[in-house]
Amino acid sequence: MTFRKILLAEDDADDQKLFCDFLSHRQDIVIMPVVENGEELLTVLENTTSQDLPHVIVLDQNMPKRNGLQTLAALKAEARFSHLPVVIYSTYADEELVSNSMAAGAALVIAKPISKKGYEEMIDAILNLLD
Amino acid sequence: MADKDVKYQTREILQAEIDELRQQLEEANDTIEAIRTGQVDALVVQSENGHQLYTLKNADQTYRVFIEKMTEGAVTLNPEGLILYCNSQFARMVQLPLSNVIGIPFDTFIAPENMPHYNALFKTCWTDDCKGEVLLIAGKDRKPVQLSLTTLELQEGISLSIILTDLTAQKATQKQLRDNNSQLAEINQALEASNHDLQQFASVASHDLQEPLRKIQIFSNLIKENGIELTPLSRKYLEKIIVSSSRMKTLILDILNYSKLSASDLPHDCIDLNEIVEELLEDFELVIAEKGAIVDRGQLPCIDANRGQIRQVFQNIISNSLKFSKPGQAPVISVTSRQIGQRSFDSPESADGPYCLITVADNGIGFNEKYLSNIFTLFERLNSKDKYEGTGIGLAIAKKIIEKHNGLITASSSEGAGTQFKIILPVKQNIS
Repeated sequence: MTFRKILLAEDDADDQKLFCDFLSHRQDIVIMPVVENGEELLTVLENTTSQDLPHVIVLDQNMPKRNGLQTLAALKAEARFSHLPVVIYSTYADEELVSNSMAAGAALVIAKPISKKGYEEMIDAILNLLD
Repeated sequence: MADKDVKYQTREILQAEIDELRQQLEEANDTIEAIRTGQVDALVVQSENGHQLYTLKNADQTYRVFIEKMTEGAVTLNPEGLILYCNSQFARMVQLPLSNVIGIPFDTFIAPENMPHYNALFKTCWTDDCKGEVLLIAGKDRKPVQLSLTTLELQEGISLSIILTDLTAQKATQKQLRDNNSQLAEINQALEASNHDLQQFASVASHDLQEPLRKIQIFSNLIKENGIELTPLSRKYLEKIIVSSSRMKTLILDILNYSKLSASDLPHDCIDLNEIVEELLEDFELVIAEKGAIVDRGQLPCIDANRGQIRQVFQNIISNSLKFSKPGQAPVISVTSRQIGQRSFDSPESADGPYCLITVADNGIGFNEKYLSNIFTLFERLNSKDKYEGTGIGLAIAKKIIEKHNGLITASSSEGAGTQFKIILPVKQNIS
């Protein structure tokens, strides 16, 4: 069975836990240790060998230090990471965030789910990107 | 005694007359002397009919009269800067009788602090015409004037003509303008500050309010989904939390939409209203089928507008018509339009008029027209939300969008007798 490695950058402890709790039963993904913000994400990636890089990165938009969009820009500017699909997810995903994210090279923008079913649907949409 | 008094008085009067005559004679002598020495080539004499001007050259007469009548002060100076001639306007400017002005140095009337500037002008003007602003001594006051200096070649030799334009009114206007400008700048600053606050608010609403709200939603859902043992009453309360938080989410999104309307200046395209209504009817397909609604659609125009915003207007109004239908009666909604000549609800029809009047009419529950102004106000609801859900923002948004498109919106209704929304929109946005 193939699985996809997902790296989540999320500063909110509840949301970190919800993401892992709702999705840990799935056999088709591996959730890498969650990072707290964009800064930490970049540090972790820099210290990861190419074969250990995640298949997809999920960024919370509203994070301290570097928000989702800023982190996205930094990833796209770095040759080693620029090919990695990036998903921005946010409590409030309005047209502005969608168009800014897509313009900056995001693969998908998603509003944070409010139910277990919503999380499942989100991860299905993310995995669809990778096929 | 009395005789002596009369004599004394007469003598006094005579003496006064003599003094006056002597002064007049002196003045006349001075004038003759001035004419003889070439200092003066015209005279202004006070007579019963006001000032009269006598010139030594008949050919100049029309110009003399012209200069005398104009609102600017005019003086002619000799190369030494003595006043050879002035019009009565100049005498009025410096608040002296004409006779006291002729023959004295012009710079007597220049404020001391402006002397360097005046001297520079006086030096330049013999080769080049020049202009400058100085303060003129006018009795106890100072008067801002513009000097226009031009040399004149007269038969008697070169002389200098100076036109004095009183800048008092202009300066006052300039000051008024400056004051108004700084006032405007202050208002602008206040406006910017309040705009900034509004944007802050939008950002707070978009994140800081929604994040905790989402937590309420997700954890309530979690309790519900996990099948944790709940009493029927707890389950009912939980359901209320879920419904209320979802309602609050809608409210926040609606407020955000509303606040974005003022901030954004969205582009306008030529849009086909038929298409928009068609799309909306597809969106409302389910509820239309459910309520057995009939929608009559007349031919609608193409107008210059922002598509997304106008769609929002029709969406809000049509959804209202579907929502506020009479129980047990199928909603009948009609959307029609006609061209009109003026931006007014009683404007007569005009086939190629610059505005269109769009009417959306329904057979719903209607409302009492005394609440007309309320329905377009933020958060105003005429019906309890138990019966009809909604945030009370939809029509406020519609009104704001229509106004941003330089249009008008109103409604007419009576309770139980359906509602008519009327919208006027310019066909082209560049008409004003």
